[in-house]
Amino acid sequence: MKELVEYIAKSLVDDPSQVMVTEISRGSTTTLELEVAQEDMGRVIGKSGRVANAMRVLVRVVAAKHGRRVNLDII
Amino acid sequence: MSETRSVETSGADIETAIELGLKQLSVSRESVIVEILEEPSRGLLGLGARQAHVRLTTAAPPRPAPPTSTIQADVEPPVRAMVEDVDADEDDDLLPDGVTPVGEADMDEDARVGVATLQELLAKMQIDAEIMVYRAQVEDNEAPPWVLQIHGRDLGMLIGRRGETLSALQYITRLIASRELQRRANIVLDVEGYKSRREQMLHRLAERMAEQAVQMGRTVALEPMSPYERRIVHLTLRDHPDVITQSIGEGNHRKVTIIPHRR
Repeated sequence: MKELVEYIAKSLVDDPSQVMVTEISRGSTTTLELEVAQEDMGRVIGKSGRVANAMRVLVRVVAAKHGRRVNLDII
Repeated sequence: MSETRSVETSGADIETAIELGLKQLSVSRESVIVEILEEPSRGLLGLGARQAHVRLTTAAPPRPAPPTSTIQADVEPPVRAMVEDVDADEDDDLLPDGVTPVGEADMDEDARVGVATLQELLAKMQIDAEIMVYRAQVEDNEAPPWVLQIHGRDLGMLIGRRGETLSALQYITRLIASRELQRRANIVLDVEGYKSRREQMLHRLAERMAEQAVQMGRTVALEPMSPYERRIVHLTLRDHPDVITQSIGEGNHRKVTIIPHRR
């Protein structure tokens, strides 16, 4: 899941070196925290959150394969 | 203020479900708005059969109302077969034709970058699938898009509810590919022919609901759909002599209504 978010984010931002994804697992829920450069926030969030929401849909597919729930936070 | 009441019912087919709902509300057919929540199905992708689900909402106080009291009464007369503006980055309108796949030598940069991006995404999603590339066959389109058709086992989760996952995957794939190409990537995605099947289904649904709208003399609302799906319904009924179509609602709740012509 982490690799998926990392790949998407790095492909979309101007400064891939500042992309960082942290995976935190608690019980059956995984939380992914995505950090990008301030100037790149818009690129990973998108117009009315469209990019962020599409990423959430895709990580959810991976999580479901492992019977887990997942949250994606952009911080 | 008139009180509206609403009931959801199911049945083997849409007619049966509507009849049941009318009984529960004890109203005549002319006084309700019918929304098709779910089409009956013999089962898609081995998911088993589904019953028809409808929602009936009284548009007026629960007494037999004259057929003129549609909820559309106050709105501007809609433009006939209005075709909506679809965001440039929205789902596209072109579908695989099921012809022979294109080999790598015959692909242009859009197709190659698209395939590479999609392969990478699928690998990171831990999905084992094969990508076949087709050129969409459409008339009057100087640059038909490449269709990246994803084949594999158990790919239902890649389609998602009402194609939500496929739509997200297409959006991200195009976004990444377009960034690399520095222009809009001319590609669309599909999973096991889902979009073409869905398109056929929507054609039939549109025709059938138009017929019902005319018979009942009432506006019929379809379930909320994506811009791409609404467009298919609008286009199907564009030349229909007895109905006009109009989308109402916002965002994810936007749906097509089929309105019988006033004569």
